[in-house]
Amino acid sequence: MKTLVLRTKEKNYMLSFIAIVIGVIFLFPLYWIVVSSLKTNVEIFASIPTLIPHNITFSAYTDQLTGPNNILNSFGNSLLIATLSMVLSIILAVPAAYGLARFPMRTTKIFIMIFLVTQMLPVTLILTPMFLIYKNLGILDTYLAPALSDATISIPFVILILRTYFLSLPKELEDSAKIDGCSTFMAFIKIMLPISYPGLVMAAAFSFLFAWGDLAYALTFISTPESRPMTAGIYNFMGKYGTEWNKIMAYGTLLVLPVVAIFVVLQKYIVAGLTNGAVKE
Amino acid sequence: MKINYSREYLRSEKKGFAFVVPALLFMLAFVGYPIIYNFILSVYNVDIMTLGQQHKEFVGLKNYIDVFNNPLMLISIWNTFLFTIGSISIQFVIGFALALFFNLEFTLAKPMRGLLVVSWMIPMTVIALLSKFMLSPSGGIINQLLLNLQIIDQPIGWLINNSTALWSVILANSWVGIPFNMILLTTGLSNISKSLYEAAEVDGATSLQKFFYITLPQLRPAILSVVILGFIYTFKVFDLVFVATGGGPVNATELMSTLAYKLSFAQFAFSKGATVANVLFIILFVVSLGYLKLIRKDEVIN
Repeated sequence: MKTLVLRTKEKNYMLSFIAIVIGVIFLFPLYWIVVSSLKTNVEIFASIPTLIPHNITFSAYTDQLTGPNNILNSFGNSLLIATLSMVLSIILAVPAAYGLARFPMRTTKIFIMIFLVTQMLPVTLILTPMFLIYKNLGILDTYLAPALSDATISIPFVILILRTYFLSLPKELEDSAKIDGCSTFMAFIKIMLPISYPGLVMAAAFSFLFAWGDLAYALTFISTPESRPMTAGIYNFMGKYGTEWNKIMAYGTLLVLPVVAIFVVLQKYIVAGLTNGAVKE
Repeated sequence: MKINYSREYLRSEKKGFAFVVPALLFMLAFVGYPIIYNFILSVYNVDIMTLGQQHKEFVGLKNYIDVFNNPLMLISIWNTFLFTIGSISIQFVIGFALALFFNLEFTLAKPMRGLLVVSWMIPMTVIALLSKFMLSPSGGIINQLLLNLQIIDQPIGWLINNSTALWSVILANSWVGIPFNMILLTTGLSNISKSLYEAAEVDGATSLQKFFYITLPQLRPAILSVVILGFIYTFKVFDLVFVATGGGPVNATELMSTLAYKLSFAQFAFSKGATVANVLFIILFVVSLGYLKLIRKDEVIN
């Protein structure tokens, strides 16, 4: 009996050890971005790579703080576009998800199919027509253009994951609110939204991140370098710095920062959302 | 046969519409309409010269014929399939192995599995920059490592070399796809009833037998969705390749998505770009239909 316990314990240690090795190898690139941004270029080009920088320097960051095209400016643009797109998709997608979850409709299946299919469309498909449409609307080269198109990626995703989420919540609360004279819409706002807080946070995080990571729309619709978000700005940037890897990695670190921050806070929801949103309607 | 719906049903249906319609209209305006517009573009002749003109020339299928006569198109189709099949294979094998490993019971299983998902969320642009850096012939850690281990005697320009570029972007793309495969397969694994394994143990089955006779067949639906979804997501990849190689060197990594982009926004041949995007769309559409059929069938079974 005693040896058996010991064995499971040993097995546990061994498996945990292997898991750590896997994690270290798998997440090494992420570590490498941050560490390289703190090195000097001389150290980066040394023939024996250093896992921990000898001289930690922030010059890769501080060097990029000046000029009209500086890194803070691009960061701000990214933040603006992503927030705009997030607000847009939350306003549109949350009620839609609720409608699909709570009201039986003859067309429910068709609606879900439409959202499911749009989720799978290639960005390149709508790039050319949207460029011409935005040109005609006169909103090319504004933050609105990429924000609108980014929202088309997050809306179906949010609808599909939030619908499953709403379905899992009890219906009784809204029913009692309606008996108390609340309209359907007020019951949704006053009762449903507050209790579905975790789902909403997850939806907001996803829509923010989709827009944050977008390159194609921003690159195509925004041509003024000063208005470009970080992803698209990388184009002006690479020409400027060539192989100054510490600066490029500093840029990468800033681009990854919000992603990791959101991930650390919401990890549990994100993993669940990934499963719900992707596997089934 | 006509079904009569109660007045109450119809009233609640109307409320449902009110909630869904704004999002639906938005999607129709910003996705549905562009798809139609894209199709129209592909049968007209619109480029930077004709863009401003009122009357645009209808050319029928000429753009499609032109595009398929362009040797670059065939290269990009071939590359897109290689990229997709290569990425899916690597992602699936490693993702499956990790799913099985983290399905074992030990303290760090869940936290570590959750942590790996972070690579799925990193912007593709960063992944492209990172692979450029790590695979660079000067200062790139992969070359430094291989040199120091004396596996190679001079640095290799993985992304600027004709024969290695495509494989390099496939590897970079797989890094993003592995956690996706792992998580979906983990869900599949957790749905397999424990009693099946217990019964097999009573019958004295080996772990290998359990894997081939229980795990694999039970996991079939999850495997199918993961592969088809992987296909859909990989087939349309744009940013990673566009930033990492720009389709080069000498078209070695040119995909249909990067080709469509270049035709529209480097050569301003909007109709040609739209045509390539349309071909990409049709291939994806057929695969998506297969996927939808699959989950429908699944629903019937459940």
